[in-house]
Amino acid sequence: MATMARRGRGSTGNARLREALVGYGFVLIPMAVFLTFFIYPFFYALYISRFDWGVFGKIETLGLENYRTLLDDELFWRGLKNTLLYTAAVVPIQMALGLSVAVIVNAGIRGRTFFRSAFYFPSLASSAAITAIALYILSADGLLNSIVGGQRPWFGDSDTALWSLVGLNAWTTSGTMMLFYLAALQAIPTDVYEAAAIDGAGFWRTFWKITFPLLKPAHFFVSVVSIIGAMKLFDQAYIASGGSGGPNYSTLTVVLYLYQTAIKDVNFGYAAAIGTALFVLIFTLTLIQRLLFGKAEVA
Amino acid sequence: MRNRLLLPALLLGLVLVAGFAASTSQGVTDKTTRSQASGEVTLSGWASSPTETKLLKEVIRGFERTFPSVKVNYAPISGDFTAAMLARFAARNPPDVLYVDSNVAPDWIKQRVLFPLDTYISQSKLKKEAFYASLLNGFKGPDGKIYGFPKDWSPLAMETNNRLLAAAGVKAPKTWDELRAAARKLQSKVPGGRPICLSPSWDRMLAFVYQNGGTFLNATKTKSTVNTPAVQRAAEWYVTLINQGLAGTPAQLGVGWCGEALGKEKAAIVFEGNWVVPFMAESFPNIRFTVNKMIRGKQEGNLAFTVSYSMARDAKNKDAAWQLIRYLVGQPGMKTWTSKGLALPSRRDVRAPAGRQNFIAAAPAARPWQFAPTFSKVIDTANNELSAVIERKQSVKAMLVKVEKVSNDALK
Amino acid sequence: MATDAVRIDRTDEVPRRAFGERVRTVLVYVFLLAAALLYFTPFLWTVATSLKTLPETVGFDLLPDNPSLRAYREALTEFNFARYTLNSAFLAATITAFNVLLCSLGGYAFARLRFPGREFLFLVVLATLMIPDQLRLVPVFQMLTNWRLVGTYQGYIAINLVAATSLFLMRQYFLTIPKDFEEAAKLDGAGYFKTYWRVMLPLATPAIAAVTILTFQGTWNEFFWPLIILGFGDPDMYTLQLGIAQFRFQYQTLWPQLMAASVIAILPIAAIYIFFQRYFVSGVVSSGVKG
Repeated sequence: MATMARRGRGSTGNARLREALVGYGFVLIPMAVFLTFFIYPFFYALYISRFDWGVFGKIETLGLENYRTLLDDELFWRGLKNTLLYTAAVVPIQMALGLSVAVIVNAGIRGRTFFRSAFYFPSLASSAAITAIALYILSADGLLNSIVGGQRPWFGDSDTALWSLVGLNAWTTSGTMMLFYLAALQAIPTDVYEAAAIDGAGFWRTFWKITFPLLKPAHFFVSVVSIIGAMKLFDQAYIASGGSGGPNYSTLTVVLYLYQTAIKDVNFGYAAAIGTALFVLIFTLTLIQRLLFGKAEVA
Repeated sequence: MRNRLLLPALLLGLVLVAGFAASTSQGVTDKTTRSQASGEVTLSGWASSPTETKLLKEVIRGFERTFPSVKVNYAPISGDFTAAMLARFAARNPPDVLYVDSNVAPDWIKQRVLFPLDTYISQSKLKKEAFYASLLNGFKGPDGKIYGFPKDWSPLAMETNNRLLAAAGVKAPKTWDELRAAARKLQSKVPGGRPICLSPSWDRMLAFVYQNGGTFLNATKTKSTVNTPAVQRAAEWYVTLINQGLAGTPAQLGVGWCGEALGKEKAAIVFEGNWVVPFMAESFPNIRFTVNKMIRGKQEGNLAFTVSYSMARDAKNKDAAWQLIRYLVGQPGMKTWTSKGLALPSRRDVRAPAGRQNFIAAAPAARPWQFAPTFSKVIDTANNELSAVIERKQSVKAMLVKVEKVSNDALK
Repeated sequence: MATDAVRIDRTDEVPRRAFGERVRTVLVYVFLLAAALLYFTPFLWTVATSLKTLPETVGFDLLPDNPSLRAYREALTEFNFARYTLNSAFLAATITAFNVLLCSLGGYAFARLRFPGREFLFLVVLATLMIPDQLRLVPVFQMLTNWRLVGTYQGYIAINLVAATSLFLMRQYFLTIPKDFEEAAKLDGAGYFKTYWRVMLPLATPAIAAVTILTFQGTWNEFFWPLIILGFGDPDMYTLQLGIAQFRFQYQTLWPQLMAASVIAILPIAAIYIFFQRYFVSGVVSSGVKG
């Protein structure tokens, strides 16, 4: 049934005002929390990045010098390269794994609850426990080497350390990605599948031509969240390298470098500059994704 | 008769009374200072081992018995201690007494988050001279003031596996050449053929650099001295042991650190500090090992790892905090604390428990593991460069040039 | 699903088709089981370690020589395990409840209500995800100190009241719900809140289940902010992860006890997950409203 046409200035104006007020009302508390505990600290960081800032505050005004130093900072660029490489590798794997597993456990297979639980298990454990286990499995005489042979210390070799992190995180977060996709799959009405079946479409065609496109809002969500999470990698890089970003700078991520600068060197101003630079980069990446997926937003 | 004796007696009595009154008033001053200190004191640090935490709690109970008006709130942090402390310093809400690793002391002193203790020291009977000078100097600021007292310390020693050395017919080496010879004989006795465990980090290699007469910084800490032949020779010797297969890094041996290599018998010779002793006792009680004196190169050289009890500048209860520090690093406090041999006393007048003499013997040659403010980045760089050298991706000389540059940049 | 309809059509070609399909099904199950085992193995190893003694944890054996529950007993008695679990449960439940409510409300607004600056505010929400915790540490801690919220549950809950990920997720999900439902509700004269409460929320059960699972588990497993906010205060207020961390020391970790505590810690969130994953059931939404 067609909706009632609501064209008419007076009532539309009031209705729009009401809608806007309700809209603001609904998002009030969340925005207050975000502004207080996220945006304000960000502007705080932006502010102190213009100074040599110590524990108790301003030591010296530097203007944009921190950023100039940043441009010449070998360690920062190395960290950035590692982070981008890591993100480019881990995000597609996470998404593909998550989606595949979600589609499989969403289908009418037996033992659905069992499989859903099994695949989600790594996400349940705390990152410290998982990394400890991974360090064990990937040590020079750990489980992985006993299967594939060799004596290679996966986290101790600068050629494989970063990729070991990719593997570790792709595996642990695939469960969470599965969760996101599982939820999104439920929003696809069943009659869509029924119509496809009547048209004689098989499993793969249904998936690629119907399911996959209908998941666009979910793709946007998963890719944005994955990329942001990957760009912020810290915990596992810290644990695997003992905080040094080694061996040979291979596990130095931008946030690890930020941490070293802030906590070990107590150089809050420079750390803030690093954080601001990272933010700008992630923001740009997200905007690009928004533009790419933008059409799907208007559902 | 009575009259003639009366005056001297009276005088003597007067003198005695005066003397007694004087000494009592001194005692009264001490006692009033003690009783004035009251309220709550927060003590924070990290937890090194379960037994150590128990011992510390025992010492604290002793303190609370001696000073009943002071209550100690002991809050060990089992996580990122440095980050938690910095947040607290910045918010001006720090614990009153805290651990300070000698590694971070230069930064924290420079940031003025610690309170200089000299006034309290002069008012008390604490003898600075009782502490090993090299350790205490680690907590002196550039202004010469004392910002903490070392609570314990440890140098490196050479731990050897008794069974493996006996099987190879090898005695504990004493020099660089003897070490190499011993390693050759031990190669067949360990799985993997790398009988020495060497950590790919400067917090072990520097000891050997010292043994070859090299240094990291000059005496006044104004210039990097790492790009010198003495340092290069030592670093090359260290790396060559690994590259020739006589030594392995923990990663190559499949362990997290060299102590674990000793315990799992993947290495027969390791260089670790006193902390390895309780670790072996709890995790690998069946492995018999010996703590030998550190080997020597051209000279003796060693590193001292130490932690202090310090007072925060924004401590709310400074008097009570001082009493706590004084007690903890006083003779009786330190004696209890180090009684189980988990840490070595930093005072000369407290005897270490049995079996620790080879650690203590290293005291004269041991230099504190610390440099200058903002040097943690330099050390991270140095370690990363060293790992590149070990992976044969660059030469020792290139590493030293790099480290020199980064050090001098940080010293500016 | 579609395959059911397909099978019905091809019954006349049963023998060869059915065999091919059966082989494929078996292969799929074998692969799934192998994958599930791969995912489960670390957990099995965690349990195995919890039954060992410390020297035994040296190797990677999945079977302890002399399995004993000593580690569990120690974990439960040595520190205030019950209290920590209660604390964690309270915090997780509270924060989850707030998140579900506020994020679904906000997500609905961002998806369906029009107000000036909506897209900009949404970008602000996304922007909060891009700020690393380490950067926020000092200013947030200073704020909480000034407001005397350090060492309190209120402080910890306040900073976790809403999570951008959850709000984002709800918004995306609401976007996929056909507008017909709201329009029907409007015709029935429902206001915005009623539409949200009576119509949209029930339709979004899969997303709510996802937010519940993620928020509960995220809070349960979180270590950094509880350490910073609660770490110096009353040990009775510690969360489970802070308690478990007490088994970590500078030069060693008491693996059996830590794993035992971790196993016990996983059980509640595993239960939450298994319970809520049943809401991931197809067919909740059907577009049969048309007509």
